[in-house]
Amino acid sequence: MKVVVVGAVDSGKSTLIGRLLYESGSLHHGVTKDVENSCRRLGRDFEFAYLLDSFEEERRDQLTIDTTQVCCKIRNGKKFIFIDAPGHRVLIKNMLCGASYADIAILVMDILNPLEEQTKLHALILKFLGIQSIILVLNKIDKASFKESAFLESKKSTDAFFQRIGLEPEYCLPVSAKEGCNLMDRGKEMPWYQGISLLEALNMYSGRLPDTHFCFSTQDIYSIGGQTIAVGPIISGRITKGDTVNILPSNRKSKIKIIRSFNKNKSKAAVPESVGLVLDNMESISRGCIISNSDIPKIAEEIKSKVFCLTSLNEGQKIKLRCLNQEVSGCVKKIKRIWESYGKQYDTETAKKTDAYFAEVSITSDKPLITEQFTGSNSLGRFVIEKDNEICAVGIIC
Amino acid sequence: MNSLTMPNELESKSIYIIREVYWEYRDNLAILWSMGKDSTTLLHLTRKAFLGCLPIPVVHIDTGFKFKEIYDFRDKYAKKWNLKLIVARNDDAIKDKMSTEKGRFDCCNALKTEALRKAIAKLGFKALLVGIRRDEHSIRAKERYFSLRNDEFKWDYQNQPLEVWSEYYKTKQDGDTHLRIHPLLHWQEIDIWRYIKNEKIPVVSLYFSRNGKRYRSIGCQCCCEPVESTADNVNKIIKEIQFTNISERSGRSQDKEKEYMMQKLRSLGYM
Repeated sequence: MKVVVVGAVDSGKSTLIGRLLYESGSLHHGVTKDVENSCRRLGRDFEFAYLLDSFEEERRDQLTIDTTQVCCKIRNGKKFIFIDAPGHRVLIKNMLCGASYADIAILVMDILNPLEEQTKLHALILKFLGIQSIILVLNKIDKASFKESAFLESKKSTDAFFQRIGLEPEYCLPVSAKEGCNLMDRGKEMPWYQGISLLEALNMYSGRLPDTHFCFSTQDIYSIGGQTIAVGPIISGRITKGDTVNILPSNRKSKIKIIRSFNKNKSKAAVPESVGLVLDNMESISRGCIISNSDIPKIAEEIKSKVFCLTSLNEGQKIKLRCLNQEVSGCVKKIKRIWESYGKQYDTETAKKTDAYFAEVSITSDKPLITEQFTGSNSLGRFVIEKDNEICAVGIIC
Repeated sequence: MNSLTMPNELESKSIYIIREVYWEYRDNLAILWSMGKDSTTLLHLTRKAFLGCLPIPVVHIDTGFKFKEIYDFRDKYAKKWNLKLIVARNDDAIKDKMSTEKGRFDCCNALKTEALRKAIAKLGFKALLVGIRRDEHSIRAKERYFSLRNDEFKWDYQNQPLEVWSEYYKTKQDGDTHLRIHPLLHWQEIDIWRYIKNEKIPVVSLYFSRNGKRYRSIGCQCCCEPVESTADNVNKIIKEIQFTNISERSGRSQDKEKEYMMQKLRSLGYM
């Protein structure tokens, strides 16, 4: 399971992960020693955050710059990969990168000031990315003397906010990451608290993908030993040799003749395997083609979508759009609505001056694109927009 | 996750990445092979991605200071797997008697980073498959799957391009820049050993215990210290890693000579 930890700058994200690693005994000897040395040289107490903030600049300035990943092993043998993400606004690109890998999100808030602008933006990004398992952590309860009233008051305002944006976090927990309170177990500091600890909350998730229609994305065509093979990942469902499938966008029916992996043939394959397929009608298959047994993937030349932009988009602008192994040139046809955090709508002029915002846009493409409506994790339901050679926006299909 | 589904997911993602970069770069792609367990696993995955026929050259950055066992392993499997092997060296630095006596930082820089830079310039590679992992070192944990090196060979770690889902930075660059591709970034040490076991991948004998000691990470003879261990086969190594409290690269001197050594080495183009 991959868990991203997000939230505003200085809410205690890196400290929370560092402390969990420490409490669970996941740390190697050399790692702790490196942090001890570094803290001594900087004249500071042991900083759990430095277990993740490894750059000199990060330790010196006490600020996470880039996203990172660490493994936390717990006693029951389960493994969680924690993804740390920077909270600072100008580092939103790195936060997005980290969050896009996650199955679960922990949104960390300062209990005395839970709903900062950055917290709201991160909450909206989680919603946008389709991360449905969200745990709210009201951190730094040590600063409120571990009082129940502080927790209840803070929870009331956050509940109202999440209801407004249409997100339903599964848990909301009082925590002191610095003191290691309510991370592994409830701890003695909060006798009034009868809920579960952060680790117990994480243990509630099992992470199986629902079984759904078969979809294979063609990455490349290899010619090996006189045989033409389409290679790529199975992005959903399963397939058996002999199955009838549909090749998109040509919309031709075909049959799976051979399923290849390395040096042997297989009779079956399933998500997330990377395989090689030999079908009838190989001549109609090229990179970007989708092979499926369902009519859920649709061919479109105009896409209605919601996007999260890191640089501004304008109507009439030429863009490059990528979705799995499909790449098309397109044009921003219409921008309908622009917003930042909830309730704060922008006009296009203001948006031009803003570095990150959400928008509802329709895009026309020069070639047919195969997509699905976004349901939370389906690869054909999401895409990226490239401008000046870098990804500048991520989008989901409405 | 059980042991059957887990390697499959790791493997699939790696193979996807290898095929993506091959689609973009074809003849300008190579794989770096140090004969260590990670790069040998990467080599195996790459052979698998191409269903057995490896279409790209394999580059060994040779410092001249590697263990004899490593050279023997290289020659044996280069032949067995029919690899297009290129041995790259910084001959000028070797002639000048570069060694750790001149400082580990300078030694690594000259014999590895500089040797690689020369090889890239000579052979025209634009993308390199490199077998680094996040859990090896906290600096490597900050890496991307597709990671750009600028025309001075440097890693601009403060401004890395965005990667989301499985959409990577792939734009072809002009000039002397190249991309480092890290298909093993999400693997952990124990995943590697479990995979080595399941796939029966051969590894250098130095990893197995002899006289109560084994190497957990291998490279140049002068900069590797063995760890106390009785693990003399893959099963025992897997068991040992499950319970150990010692970090994987604890025996690698170049990481520790001074503070932020790895960050400084890597920002200049070290692997």
